[in-house]
Amino acid sequence: MTMEQMIPTVIFAAMAILLIGLSLIVVTAKSVFRSAIALTAALGIVAGIFALLGADFVAASQLLIYVGGIMIIMLFVIMLSQRSTALTERQTNEQWLWGALFALAVTCALIVQFRAVYRGVFATSVPTPTSVAIGRLLLGDMIVPFEAISLVLLAALVGAVYFGLDYEEKL
Amino acid sequence: MLELGPIISNAFQALQTWVIALGVPVLGAWILAKSIQVGIIVLLVSLVPMVLVYAERKVSAFMQARLGPMEVGPFGILQTLADGIKLIFKEDIIPIGADRMVHIMAPMVACAPVFVCFAPIPFGKGLVPIDLDISVLFIFAVSGVTTIGVLMAGWGSGNKFAMLGGLRGAAQLVSYEIPRVLSVVPVLMFYGTQSLHGIAMAQHGLWHGFLPKWFIFYPVVGQIAFLIFLIASVAETNRTPFDIPEAESELVAGFHTEFSGLKFALFFLAEYAYVFLSSAMAVALFLGGDDGFYANGFLPSWLWFIGKTFAIVFLFLWFRWTFPRLRVDRLMQFCWKFLLPWSIANIALAGLMVLLLHK
Repeated sequence: MTMEQMIPTVIFAAMAILLIGLSLIVVTAKSVFRSAIALTAALGIVAGIFALLGADFVAASQLLIYVGGIMIIMLFVIMLSQRSTALTERQTNEQWLWGALFALAVTCALIVQFRAVYRGVFATSVPTPTSVAIGRLLLGDMIVPFEAISLVLLAALVGAVYFGLDYEEKL
Repeated sequence: MLELGPIISNAFQALQTWVIALGVPVLGAWILAKSIQVGIIVLLVSLVPMVLVYAERKVSAFMQARLGPMEVGPFGILQTLADGIKLIFKEDIIPIGADRMVHIMAPMVACAPVFVCFAPIPFGKGLVPIDLDISVLFIFAVSGVTTIGVLMAGWGSGNKFAMLGGLRGAAQLVSYEIPRVLSVVPVLMFYGTQSLHGIAMAQHGLWHGFLPKWFIFYPVVGQIAFLIFLIASVAETNRTPFDIPEAESELVAGFHTEFSGLKFALFFLAEYAYVFLSSAMAVALFLGGDDGFYANGFLPSWLWFIGKTFAIVFLFLWFRWTFPRLRVDRLMQFCWKFLLPWSIANIALAGLMVLLLHK
């Protein structure tokens, strides 16, 4: 491994360890707010991994949408609906062993499969400008799926407004 | 004529060759140079709020016939330094009911992103720290992290005023982020790039020999985009008339009620650094960046950029001391029923103009 390959590998390893640690905090923290904060940080690190792989647009979008949008709404909801009993509740139920075994099996399967496919492949790890290509793709070859997704989102928005209405207004 | 860009790049060249001659590997010299550059940016970003706090005091004093700082040093220049020293010596209080970890981390989360946001700002010729291809998106994405810090401060303090302030802050920041991002879209459509440096460079020159090619002078589209960006930026920085997350007369101090000493100072630093960042973005996006229109070359480019930025900063200060605070529901209505439709209409208009221009 040369020096140029060494640095991205070290950064990737650091980010991967942090990501795993934060993900464990997400599922084990007793306070819902704390686990949401850990999830926010984990999503931010995913953005870092995208940036390390050279996907600059995806990295910034990940940060903008997940950290700056979805997680803020989630934290907002948690702040509005916190119960003081939540801190004393058990974190697991009687099926925790089966759940853990299943998660372990999935992890092993993924590791084996990824090692078989991506062995010895190094990402360029140079931030390449990708926004132009993504824009051409979204408004060119992928225009139909892109517009279909917008329609689905519009339907979701209209539905959210409908559910948010007062009962009398609905009728 | 004192262009800083070439001087700094020459200095770094000399430093690198000198360090390599001393026997440091090329990679080490590169890392050293980058660390020093990062250090310069961090230092500048930490110093700017001190200037802005002083400016805020003086401007408010002139506008409202107050006295303003006078005692500490000539014209009270040392007042912010004295404030800083006072804040360092204050006791660091953590309330018993607070979530300790969240409480301690909140100011750091709120403050750290602002340093990163200055990376793609084109300060002048050869003074672009990193010319990112996605600068605009990058700044919006990273500055969004600050909202998490506001929410953490609100929740982690274990105080109902802080909680209300945090909730209000989250609602306001998320809402105003949308028209703010959409108001920039026409700029990107006209110039076909997201790089702030590229956008600033595209605005150099004159139309018909008298009108600068700045985006704010594009008919209709430019003015609407600039106004929406300016209003949404004031809201994003939590300043009056949009300061309901920290409204003193309603919520004590809002989300930072329970913070004292340096942790409070970090929130303050973040606020003023964001004011500076928003102004710098407005200059790069709408006011031609470091372009000096008729008097190009009369002053160095970085001075043009800083001068224009401080002109916009003055607008921020002016708003704060002349407008009354908006009510919470009015604030939301203003964003969702006025700014958002207009910014979308502006995008449609810009699309039409780009289409006609390219025909």
